[in-house]
Amino acid sequence: MSEPNVPQVPEVPETPAGPYVYDYQAAPFRQITMPKTVPLPSHRTYLAEQKAAAEADEAKWQKMQADYETAKAKAEAEGKDAPKPPARPVPRKDDNDVKTPVPEEAKDADLLTLQALLGDKVEEIFEQAGELVCQVKKEAIFEALTLCRDEAALKYEMLADQSGTHYPAAKDFAYSVVYHLTSISRRKRLRLRILVPEGFAPESACSLYPSANWMEREVYDMLGIRFANHPDMTRILCPEDWEGYPLRKDYPTVGWGQRDISFREDRGGMLERIALQKAGQLGINLKQPKAE
Amino acid sequence: MGMNQPTALEHILITTKVEKVMNWSRATSVWPVTFGLACCAIEMMAAGASRFDFDRFGAGIFRASPRQADLMIIAGTVTYKMAPIIKTLYDQMPEPKWVMAMGSCATAGGPFDSYHTIQGVDKVIPVDVYIPGCPPRPEAFIYGFLKLQDKIMTSSLADRYKDIFEEVG
Amino acid sequence: MFKNEEMEINLGPQHPSTHGVLRVKLRLDGETVTHCRPMIGYLHRGVEKICENQSFFQGQVWTDRMDYCSAVANNLGWAEANEKLFGITVPRRAQYIRTLLNEFNRIASHLIWLGTHAMDIGALTVFLYAFREREDVLDINEAFCGSRLTTTAFRIGGLREDLPPGFEKMVRKFLAKFSDCLEEYENLLTENRIWKKRTIGVAKLSAEDAIALGVTGPMLRAAGVAYDIRKSFPYAAYAEMDFEVPTRTEADTYARYQVRMAEMRQSARIIEQCMDGMPEGPVMAKLPKILRSEVNEVYHATESPKGEIGYYLVGEKGSLNPYRFHVRAPGFINLQSLPKMAEGGLIADVVAAIGSLDIVLGEIDR
Repeated sequence: MSEPNVPQVPEVPETPAGPYVYDYQAAPFRQITMPKTVPLPSHRTYLAEQKAAAEADEAKWQKMQADYETAKAKAEAEGKDAPKPPARPVPRKDDNDVKTPVPEEAKDADLLTLQALLGDKVEEIFEQAGELVCQVKKEAIFEALTLCRDEAALKYEMLADQSGTHYPAAKDFAYSVVYHLTSISRRKRLRLRILVPEGFAPESACSLYPSANWMEREVYDMLGIRFANHPDMTRILCPEDWEGYPLRKDYPTVGWGQRDISFREDRGGMLERIALQKAGQLGINLKQPKAE
Repeated sequence: MGMNQPTALEHILITTKVEKVMNWSRATSVWPVTFGLACCAIEMMAAGASRFDFDRFGAGIFRASPRQADLMIIAGTVTYKMAPIIKTLYDQMPEPKWVMAMGSCATAGGPFDSYHTIQGVDKVIPVDVYIPGCPPRPEAFIYGFLKLQDKIMTSSLADRYKDIFEEVG
Repeated sequence: MFKNEEMEINLGPQHPSTHGVLRVKLRLDGETVTHCRPMIGYLHRGVEKICENQSFFQGQVWTDRMDYCSAVANNLGWAEANEKLFGITVPRRAQYIRTLLNEFNRIASHLIWLGTHAMDIGALTVFLYAFREREDVLDINEAFCGSRLTTTAFRIGGLREDLPPGFEKMVRKFLAKFSDCLEEYENLLTENRIWKKRTIGVAKLSAEDAIALGVTGPMLRAAGVAYDIRKSFPYAAYAEMDFEVPTRTEADTYARYQVRMAEMRQSARIIEQCMDGMPEGPVMAKLPKILRSEVNEVYHATESPKGEIGYYLVGEKGSLNPYRFHVRAPGFINLQSLPKMAEGGLIADVVAAIGSLDIVLGEIDR
């Protein structure tokens, strides 16, 4: 008989014997939160947002004044004291050293030269945080890169970095690919950007900048963007038989189960059975790694 | 000759078990395989270099080939792509062999709870000594090695092949 | 009569001179390398993915473990990229301390390179000498942030702590003996006949090839291009420092050795200037309690001991964590030049080429 004061310990279900297997459903990183916005900096959208915000602010102010007028008229009619006139709300000023840079109008000569040379192939040019950004049409990226390298007024000799971002919330594109160019002789940097829909293969920059070789392979490995005319479009970091593209937003941080395969000596196939069973419950197709 | 007087032979002879002599010689001349994976490898090198001088414990000879080594120090993160290779290397080492998991990554995945990282090298090969730390300081590494020496000294052949004996019957 | 046949061999992933888990597929005709293909990814840990799921502040911990030989340089790039994203001005004293620690880190990283590179080629003694001084640098790291290797030294907006008491004494003591130590290494190597035979004219990479392949850092400077981000795009307190950018024109392994040795001297010079002109004041900018980003993207490059390390961050409106976190790792780009250097040379020179690249697989695979 148990004492009445001691609470009954709930029966813990016996944990199955065998190796520890990661519980995917319970893992916090398993839950994917898909982004709802498209954080693509752009001068045009920034101006539109500012305008909309200013209009909303003005409308609010107008409404406050109208409300005041009616309240005042009502108070006069009833013979009470007039209400306080409204004060226009001032945006709060924080006393700190943070000044978030905003997109500004392009003034740099390089961006203007690019726009003059490429014409309507340039979608947008702007400056932000002292960086030059030029967004071109996705078909024209090779032409833009050729210009940047060969034009005497530009002379961007080095392709420093190339990467991409997944935007699942965007409507007419899925990825952005950015090229960071450096001009050693002129001490300047430039960012070229293209917006790529799912399944589109942008032209590879390998023939212009050999450094793009591995960077494009990395973009393919991580995001699944293929590049046309690339000499060797294979995975670079993950193994050849890897499933999924890790840096897409719909890919969980803990992956889809490959990492939990046990390579321990498996007498009687116990470990394999558990791993396959666990994976089968989640609908994952586990493959043994290729022997190299 | 009286029974109480020690003979000349007793001055120079000690009686012990063969197993103990074997263990003693193994524990004091461990040859690790040169196998650095990530950050912990730098601390392993530092432990072998001037200030900490790992050679004092008889384990300074890092062998480049697993076939000449009897200790494998897993110093770093084990990834999905690397795991089969570690298994192969371990299989190439002759018996008796020991494994030290150095650092959090080799112990349990460390800070890298991600898609490509194996969460602990003990999913791949059996481990004798785990050393915590990210990365462990050379002192911690040396302490872990001393623990391994203790383990070697107390090990017996019967224990080591227990499961095999049981299988044979 | 004699059958000519090419042989394919694997160098690595377990090989004492690949500095980690690099695998190089080589095709050999006798002893001559006809084809070389580096294969990476054996240490791919998903740093970029992890950092996208952590807050802006937390990401620093993973940058330590990318290039574990030069954690401070990684931290500095990370901190400055975040500051650019939020538009934070950092106090001048914090800038000076950052510069100081970054230069110490350069010395430590170059010392590791010197020791291991010399060991690969066959000079074991230098390794022990180099690690002796490296321990002193790590003591300084430890005095400042409590950790030897994975420093997590900075914060967004400045530093967590000011310099500890007795720090200046430690630095002065190190500086007083360091130039003698450098001379010691040079006595062992610079005029060493074997060292010269193994390095002069080996693994050449011309300036045009280097720029086309995106190679930066001492590799590029050894080819005669004086491109140093500390000078070209000054950051931290480098604009106020007086230092030279050492260059050579031979573009071989020996030239890279000379450039790195000269860089260590310049680093000591910068440290001395930092210590002399250390301004007073706060070490942390005024920040709000919670940092929420606006829509913004930045690419910030700094000069790590290996070359240009760049952080590409994308901020989402009102978000606590970066939408995209990408690292331009210098080793990743520099390693692309290995086929160019190794093909046509001898197989023994591949080891010298890998050593002179000064790669760290942690940042290549990330």
